[in-house]
Order: sequence, then C-alpha cells, then structure tokens
Amino acid sequence: MKELSLHILDIIQNSVNAGASIIEIEIEEEEKEDIFRFSVKDNGCGMSADFLRKVKDPFTTTRTTRKTGLGIPLLEAAAVQCGGRLDIVSEPGKGTAVTAVFQNSHIDRAPLGDMAQTMVTVISGSPEIDFLYTHIKNGQSFVFQTEDLRRVLQGVPLDTPEIIGWIEEAVREGLAEIQVK
Amino acid sequence: MKLSELIKRLDLKLLTKSDFEDREITGGYCGDLLSWVMGKAKPGNVWITIMSNVNIVAVASLTDAACILLSENMNLEREIIEKADEQDVVILRSSKPSYILAAEVFQAVEK
Repeated sequence: MKELSLHILDIIQNSVNAGASIIEIEIEEEEKEDIFRFSVKDNGCGMSADFLRKVKDPFTTTRTTRKTGLGIPLLEAAAVQCGGRLDIVSEPGKGTAVTAVFQNSHIDRAPLGDMAQTMVTVISGSPEIDFLYTHIKNGQSFVFQTEDLRRVLQGVPLDTPEIIGWIEEAVREGLAEIQVK
Repeated sequence: MKLSELIKRLDLKLLTKSDFEDREITGGYCGDLLSWVMGKAKPGNVWITIMSNVNIVAVASLTDAACILLSENMNLEREIIEKADEQDVVILRSSKPSYILAAEVFQAVEK
C-alpha cells in the first residue's frame, strides 16, 4: 500500500472484527537504530494456533474468512522487502498482537501517511471501542487515549462531529510536537 | 488475441502448466504495488510486474488476470509456481524490462 497508515487501518479493522473492546496502537520511529516499528494489540477473540499458522498465507485467509483478506500477507511482504519482519502473537479468548518492523531508511519503506485521519476513521467507525495510541519518535512520545476523553465527555458519544474534529486536531498537533511528519 | 499466440509472438517463457493458453486477452496492466494492482487490473489482463512473492498469485487470482508476466527474468521459488498451478494462474517470464513488455503487449493486443 502507498502508506503505512493504510496497513495500520487494515490491521485495526481486523481487531474490530475480532470483537475487541480495547485496541492499542503503538508506533515507534528510531532514526539512530534505523528502525520503524508499529504494533496493534487487541483483547478480541484471538486465533487458534492452527489459524495463526495459516494467517500469513494469502489463499487460506481469503478463502476461509473474508475478514482478513490480503491485509496480513501484503503487510508482511512490505516489511520483509524493507529488511524487516511481521510477528503475530495470538491466544484464543485473550487477543492478538501484530507487530511490523521496517528498516526506517529503506528506500522502499512507504511513508507513514496521515495518522490523525486514520484514528478519526477508526474511532468514528467504532466509537464504543477504547483506543490507545502511542507514538514514539527518537525517544519523545505522544499518547492519545479515548478513555480519558470519554471521562471528560460524560456520555457524549465520540462520533459526535465536533468531538471527531477535535480528536483529529489533537492528534495532528500532538504528532507535530514530536516532529512526526 | 489468445494467450498462446501472445506467448509465441513475444517469445515468452511459460513457467506454469500450459492448460490455459487459449485464454482470451483483454489488454494489459503494469504495476508492482500489489494493493494498487488489486483495484486496477481487469479480468483477462496481462499483468506485467517484477514482484515475485506468493502474493502475486493471489492478486492475479482475485483480479482474474489472464496471466502474470514477470519482467527482467525475475526468479520465482518453486512453491510459488506450484501455488499458481493450484489456482489456475498462468505465469510467464521475459528478460525484457516492464516498459518494453508493456509496449509489445500493447502492439500485439490492441492492434
């Protein structure tokens, strides 16, 4: 995909489909170590060991469930092509963690893309889910969590247009502060 | 034009089993970003690419491409060819770059 945020969106969608109530997204960019890593962790239904073995194969996934599609195989190919890898840890009933690692400076590494837009898309799609987004760049970090926001809003749904607009602005500003482009 | 005619005319190497050579070609598509090709390639297209991981077989199968045409003599692992045979996906290969192949396929198919 043209931007890594589209892969992140796709993986978050898997977590939503897995019935998660909490989804944690962590992105880490470390220029000194030349690493770009992101992970999506959820408390959804998880996968059996048998399914986990098949999940990186584009055929078993597209044929047996329409939920996963080519998302995981394409992400794995993108990571491997950039000197990285894809790790998936999952336990039935507990949840799943997907971690993609890239060589940060690799010429084929797609740019991150618009994370503010990505967060707004997933929050508007599933306003009842708690999202925790942590972004670390060269040791500096930005944290956004819907749980904090929910406490302040006292029952106002997160997908109210004004709130969504505010979230997008807050994420954009927070990322700009830690020099995420 | 039939796939078998194209193979002969452009001197392409057939990597998979040859059961589907009489497929009709509708045109071509050229691209290496698989997620992009998934949304763009049309059924019956000759898909020209340098990508050589197993996902190309899935993309060709999803888009109903007439065949995958690997340019610049890209090497394919045996398992990928086996997968393609399982999925009735035809894979061809040429030493020429994608630019030249696209021109040649265009000449052959559109004229």
